[in-house]
Amino acid sequence: MSRVDLISLLPEMILCGTGIVLLMLEALTPGLRRAFTGLAVLGTAVAAWGAWHAWAHLPEGYLSFNGFLETSRFTYALSLVVLLATGLCLLASQSYLRRENILSGEYHALLLWCACGLLLMLRATELLTIFVSLELFSLCLYSLAAYHRRLAIATEGALKYFLMGAFVSAFILYGIALVFGATGSTRLAEIGQALGGASSVPVTVSLGFLMLVAGFGFKMSVVPFHAWSPDTYQGAPSPFVAFLSVAPKVASALVLYRVLESVVTGAPGTAVKWSGVVAVLSVLSMLLGNLLALVQRDIKRMLAYSGIAHMGYLLLAFVTLDRASLAPVIVYLLAYVLMNAGAFTVITLLYNRPGEHHLISDLSGWGYRYPLLGGCLAVCMLSLGGIPPTVGFIGKYVVFLNAVGDGLVGLAVLGVLASLVGVFYYLRVVYVLYMQAEERQPEGLLIDVWGRAAAVLAALGTLVLGIWPSGILQWLIETTAAR
Amino acid sequence: MQTLIDLFSGNTLTLLVFFPALACVPLLFFPRGSEGAVKVYALSVSLIELALGVWYVAAHMGADGSFPLVRDPVIPWLPGFGINYHLAMDGISMPLALLGIFLVPIVFLGSWKGIDKHWPAFAAAMLLLTTGVLGTLFAWDLFLFYIFWEVMLIPMYLIIGIWGGERRIYAAVKFFLFTMAGSLLMLVGILWMAWSFKNLNGGVWSFAYEDMLRLQFPVQQQLWLFAGFALAFAVKVPMFPVHTWLPDAHVEAPTGGSVILAGILLKLGTYGFLRFALPLFPQASEKAQPLLVTLAVIGILYGALVSWMQEDMKKLVAYSSIAHLGFVMLGLLAFEQVAWEGSLLQMVNHGLSTGALFLLVGMLYDRRHTKKFAEFGGLAKVIPVFAFFLVFSSLASVGLPALNGFAGEFLILAGSYKTLGTATVLATFGVVLAAIYLLKMIQLTIFGPLTKEENRGLSDLNLREIAALVPLCVFMLWIGLKPETFLKPSRAALEATLAQFHQGAEGTAVADVTLSPDPNKVAALDMEAGR
Repeated sequence: MSRVDLISLLPEMILCGTGIVLLMLEALTPGLRRAFTGLAVLGTAVAAWGAWHAWAHLPEGYLSFNGFLETSRFTYALSLVVLLATGLCLLASQSYLRRENILSGEYHALLLWCACGLLLMLRATELLTIFVSLELFSLCLYSLAAYHRRLAIATEGALKYFLMGAFVSAFILYGIALVFGATGSTRLAEIGQALGGASSVPVTVSLGFLMLVAGFGFKMSVVPFHAWSPDTYQGAPSPFVAFLSVAPKVASALVLYRVLESVVTGAPGTAVKWSGVVAVLSVLSMLLGNLLALVQRDIKRMLAYSGIAHMGYLLLAFVTLDRASLAPVIVYLLAYVLMNAGAFTVITLLYNRPGEHHLISDLSGWGYRYPLLGGCLAVCMLSLGGIPPTVGFIGKYVVFLNAVGDGLVGLAVLGVLASLVGVFYYLRVVYVLYMQAEERQPEGLLIDVWGRAAAVLAALGTLVLGIWPSGILQWLIETTAAR
Repeated sequence: MQTLIDLFSGNTLTLLVFFPALACVPLLFFPRGSEGAVKVYALSVSLIELALGVWYVAAHMGADGSFPLVRDPVIPWLPGFGINYHLAMDGISMPLALLGIFLVPIVFLGSWKGIDKHWPAFAAAMLLLTTGVLGTLFAWDLFLFYIFWEVMLIPMYLIIGIWGGERRIYAAVKFFLFTMAGSLLMLVGILWMAWSFKNLNGGVWSFAYEDMLRLQFPVQQQLWLFAGFALAFAVKVPMFPVHTWLPDAHVEAPTGGSVILAGILLKLGTYGFLRFALPLFPQASEKAQPLLVTLAVIGILYGALVSWMQEDMKKLVAYSSIAHLGFVMLGLLAFEQVAWEGSLLQMVNHGLSTGALFLLVGMLYDRRHTKKFAEFGGLAKVIPVFAFFLVFSSLASVGLPALNGFAGEFLILAGSYKTLGTATVLATFGVVLAAIYLLKMIQLTIFGPLTKEENRGLSDLNLREIAALVPLCVFMLWIGLKPETFLKPSRAALEATLAQFHQGAEGTAVADVTLSPDPNKVAALDMEAGR
């Protein structure tokens, strides 16, 4: 373990350390709880610096820890995306935790460790490392989903998530075992070599990889592994959903890509089959996600289904399973993090009865009562709908461009039609905000400066990156090309 | 950064496009209750914008009276994808852009009383819409065009949805979804073209309009691409049978929204055909001509007949738009210079006369809160000034010689007759029907006996309302008397587009997509060879 190896792990170590410090502070000086958000955000920012530092100082293509962790630049770019989601979630959390009187160090520590697990999984090139980091972040997610433990609905959602998640973990482990049994390795690169360019693979390998696809499909909540997400989103703390709905999907999408890449490079003859699997998942998610979101009256459930649809668009970029598809994926993920986290931040601030339905109609006319937050929510909704000049449009553009370029015009047309359905329900939020008379009196809301900052940051990012995307887009594309 | 400063610090299209959007920022800081100040501010901004537009056009008008192609400096926007920020104005977009800018102050004047809440938001929506419209007209890069095309949707959606009538949300959502459905398929078409270009151009991306013109697709592919583009534009025009959003949108929209919708937004559909769908896919256009001409004629007759049957003034004017835009489409589909000139003129004419009619209906509605014919009659005795403007605008819309509608319709019919004989004859019935339904409106509202007591106390138009109408009427008369003044600037641009179209249409059909050589490079090579 050299110094370079340690540098490659800088962000994870910082996150982990900050979490431990927060836990100690919770035990020693509980009176300082109000400052925890600031500390955690600071920790996240330092971790982001760590990621940047590692990015700038590590030789490109270096595999640290005996080849268990990849340190290529785009993994750090994705780390920054995850850390952005973490930061936004932390900012949004304080008002919720204070309002519900459950502010504590554990929440922050769990969130930071969760981010740590995600960052680790982004870099892992070996199936068991992937599994360990998966468990690290999953366990944190389960406990955070049930964090509001006085709420029956939170417990219910979290239990569903946990039971299915545990089942899926077993699935993934079984898949790893099958692949290991057939190829004699858990390293993705070696698995690829072991397959030796065959035109077909043994049934055990196919089965193993299918199980892995199902497992990470579950974490990404793509159809048909999506059933947990609406219930979990509904019960879990809204600010945490800002994290849950984006960050695990970022890391899982990348791992899904890595896993499939190894089998496709190892056995090019199977590429068509795997592309078919991804295409089916993509189409099902786009259609079902959008159609089910259409009939939701609860904004959190609506966004859960919309998230399923978004993962469908994302998978559209994966269909060809070539390196070129990584760039659109990263761009899309960044867009998705900004707009979705922004939407959930506003939801956190404008709804104050976490045990009840978060009806869309509760926002009637509030666009005028809360011009800033209403505006942020409207921007995020338009961006989710893929309407320019927002980053959501840029994301959709790069994904559809990639699909058209690969000759998947039919899938692209299906995608745009599905996103048209999406526009309908995203617009509903906008018209409820601005075109209907007020119905609900604001009572017991706690809108703090942190939450406002998160909402404005996300909405501003959505707009600025939509209007002036060249810098960040170029950078992200270069990071994937440089690998 | 320096380029940005340069782009805004001169007489540039960028300034023209983004000035209204930037002028929205101060609107955030007007305190609540300062509606009056907001109105004055919005009106001043729109007048400054008008001055900027006139200044720009005047500065670049050619010595021979034709308007050349003028570009802003091209700056890379998404260099990785070959997408440039590239604005240009030529003789086709110039009259439409001026019409759009010209209508905004009139809309503000016309909405002074009619818009009774959230004025800062209304002003912002209108100004952002102006930015969207101008950007769409000037975009010389297909990606940029698409962005502006979509950007127009949101402000219009808000204008209908917030300040509209009872069924405003239904109308707003319908408007949005119809337009979005059309344009999303166009996006796939644009992406397809860009990929084809990249594959033929050694892996270098471009979305530039001039580069796209160099692409020659096989007929089958052209038809698919044309279908994607044509659907987007046909929804906007709107052509039969995708017109159903229009009556809803018009009836529910506030007066200002209707004026801007009929005045300029619909024209962007026909502009899209003229600029993109026809010249980019000439062979497909010729193949689709019979179908589209049929739809245009159906639109003319159907729109006119439905107008005739209406009992509501606003609905009558709304359906008449379908008929009028049908004429414009007919002219465009004739692929003839004279007809194209007529179509472009008629786009402007329709913006003026229908804009005036919507304003007048709105003014009457402000006074009586109804638009039903049955509630009026004999108004000429009570409000003569109003009656004068209504008759004037209606006659312009009917196509009375010496007013603008005549010049446009005559050129369209004369130009189309050669190639589209039967269709032109059928369309001429539309002119007759237009006379019938507009005269019916005049007769039922302002002539005849004064039957309703409520109408006796109506106040006539005030100075502000007259100020909104007079500029429109001046131009109706001016275009009617001297159409050549308005035709000349656009002639060269239309000729160039038509030549481009015929060259593509008559070229041999290709088996696979090909790229014709870059004319600029060819010219450079010729120069070298000559030297």
